Amino acid sequence: MTLGASSSPLLELLTSADMGPMRAIYATALLAGLAIVVLCGVLSVLVVVKRLGFVGQGVSHSAFGGIGVAAVLAALGAIQPAGTAEFAVIVAFCVLAALGMASVSDRRTTPVDSAIGMFLVGSMALGAVLVQVSQPIARAMGNPPMTRSWESILFGSILAAGRADALLAWGVALALLACVWWVRRPMLFWSFDEESAAAFGVPARRMRLALMVVLAVAVVTAMKLAGVILATALLVLPGATAMRLSDRLWPVVGLSVASGVVGLLAGFAASIELDWQAGPSMVLLMTGLFFGAAGWSRLARRRAA
Amino acid sequence: MPPAQQTPADAPALECVGVGFAYPRSPSPVLENITFRVERGERLGILGPNGGGKSTLLRLALGLLRGHSGTIRVFGMPPDEARRRGAVGYVPQRVEAELGMPMSVRELVTLGAAWRVPPWRSVPRETSRRVDEMLALVGAGEFADRPAGKLSGGQLQRAMIARALAAGAQMLVLDEPMVGIDAAGQRVFADLLARIHAQLGLTTVIVSHDLRAIVAGSDRVACLARRLHAHAAPQGLTPQVLAELFSHEVAGAPGTLTGMHVHAHGADECCTEPHASPSGPVQLGVSARRPEGHKP
Repeated sequence: MTLGASSSPLLELLTSADMGPMRAIYATALLAGLAIVVLCGVLSVLVVVKRLGFVGQGVSHSAFGGIGVAAVLAALGAIQPAGTAEFAVIVAFCVLAALGMASVSDRRTTPVDSAIGMFLVGSMALGAVLVQVSQPIARAMGNPPMTRSWESILFGSILAAGRADALLAWGVALALLACVWWVRRPMLFWSFDEESAAAFGVPARRMRLALMVVLAVAVVTAMKLAGVILATALLVLPGATAMRLSDRLWPVVGLSVASGVVGLLAGFAASIELDWQAGPSMVLLMTGLFFGAAGWSRLARRRAA
Repeated sequence: MPPAQQTPADAPALECVGVGFAYPRSPSPVLENITFRVERGERLGILGPNGGGKSTLLRLALGLLRGHSGTIRVFGMPPDEARRRGAVGYVPQRVEAELGMPMSVRELVTLGAAWRVPPWRSVPRETSRRVDEMLALVGAGEFADRPAGKLSGGQLQRAMIARALAAGAQMLVLDEPMVGIDAAGQRVFADLLARIHAQLGLTTVIVSHDLRAIVAGSDRVACLARRLHAHAAPQGLTPQVLAELFSHEVAGAPGTLTGMHVHAHGADECCTEPHASPSGPVQLGVSARRPEGHKP
């Protein structure tokens, strides 16, 4: 193995015999990342079509409120800090926040972007207050205080994903994709035109709530691994990129997933090769893919004209 | 087969008895004591000024709006039940749709016809055949594989009519079908409505503030401005009735009928009384005479 291994960390990781344990870490992280990217790639098309990009922001930031609640529960000794119970509390909080956004929004008095904005800041403020409140409670009860840093919540650290995380991610992804597949026809009908769909008998309100719940669970799962910012990016960028490249439904879904996978793999490669952080590398690459697709489609249109 | 087939056979397509409606926190009602019925196979036009309650009545009949007084029956069912059974094919005004959605016309029409198909089944072949037939009937065959977002207003409207027909609706409801359609498109549209009626014998309700849309596809006209002002064949619409009807739009400013879309040829076609029709948009004076009641 003299293949210039010292000059390329990526090559060295892939080929060197003593990089085995590192390879395993990266493989687990990639496996977890793939689940998220495939799930978000499919959902992203709906998010872009329904202009729900801001929902990702709202739900992911609502997680701070969930973290606050979990911190208080952990301080009281009711749940383990940083365990499955904590994840369940955060998911529950975010789903409730998403349902709150959907039910508070009203076309005339509270537009949906305002409703999302309110829940976003409200949840973050609640989280900040509850985390602070949890500290003296933890001291009084003799439990360890919460030590999670805000930065890790924002950017996540996909490399810290363990085998259990990867399995959970695939479980959630497959379950949500199955749900979406199950309601795909009424969901697509409703996505195109809510009022007409309702007039044809589609349960429009149930469709809206179902999509919000699916998005909330997906965002929280993505966020656990990839952080708030990447989770939001994953719900917007792949769909937006794919819709620049095709106007056929199933090709758009395929391209969306593919652009997510490319972003994931290239982001990982860049982060290893250049020693950049994995999350931001992926976001940067996916943003680059979007502008590439936008430029390409503009060129293609000009050539056709 | 859509469950809409199980509707009571003898009930009229649409029946309103003493229907009234007021939006919450609004001091005055939008609809008052509306009574009319549409028999099966009949084609009714509902003419009225903007703000006259047409859309509200439409949304009540479609089961999209609740809280009315009086009774509404669609094929003998409450509107919400008729809605859930897919008895009514709604053709929206300007499609408030996500036109960026990457879907072809054929896919959209198929969704309308097949959204109730169980998720584990593929779209039945006879449904696909019906979709193709209806696309051909409305003349949408040649753009069936184009993305819906790249159609003209008239093309999109034909696609939406095909969707309602393919869904197996027993009554077609068109909201302001002439808006955003050019003169040539309007003739195509009138021919299309006649063709649909001749081939399928469907009940049709057209709601519009534009007399041309009403004349294009109605046997009877109900004039609506909060109350029903006349209920007659298009030929029975006198200038007095129209003036009465549209004066509601400009309460307090008699004589200036802004927003009215009665054009000279439309008025000529529908008015039996001989009168000199001015060129351009008809300026109708406001009649002081109130009609005594609804014409049967």
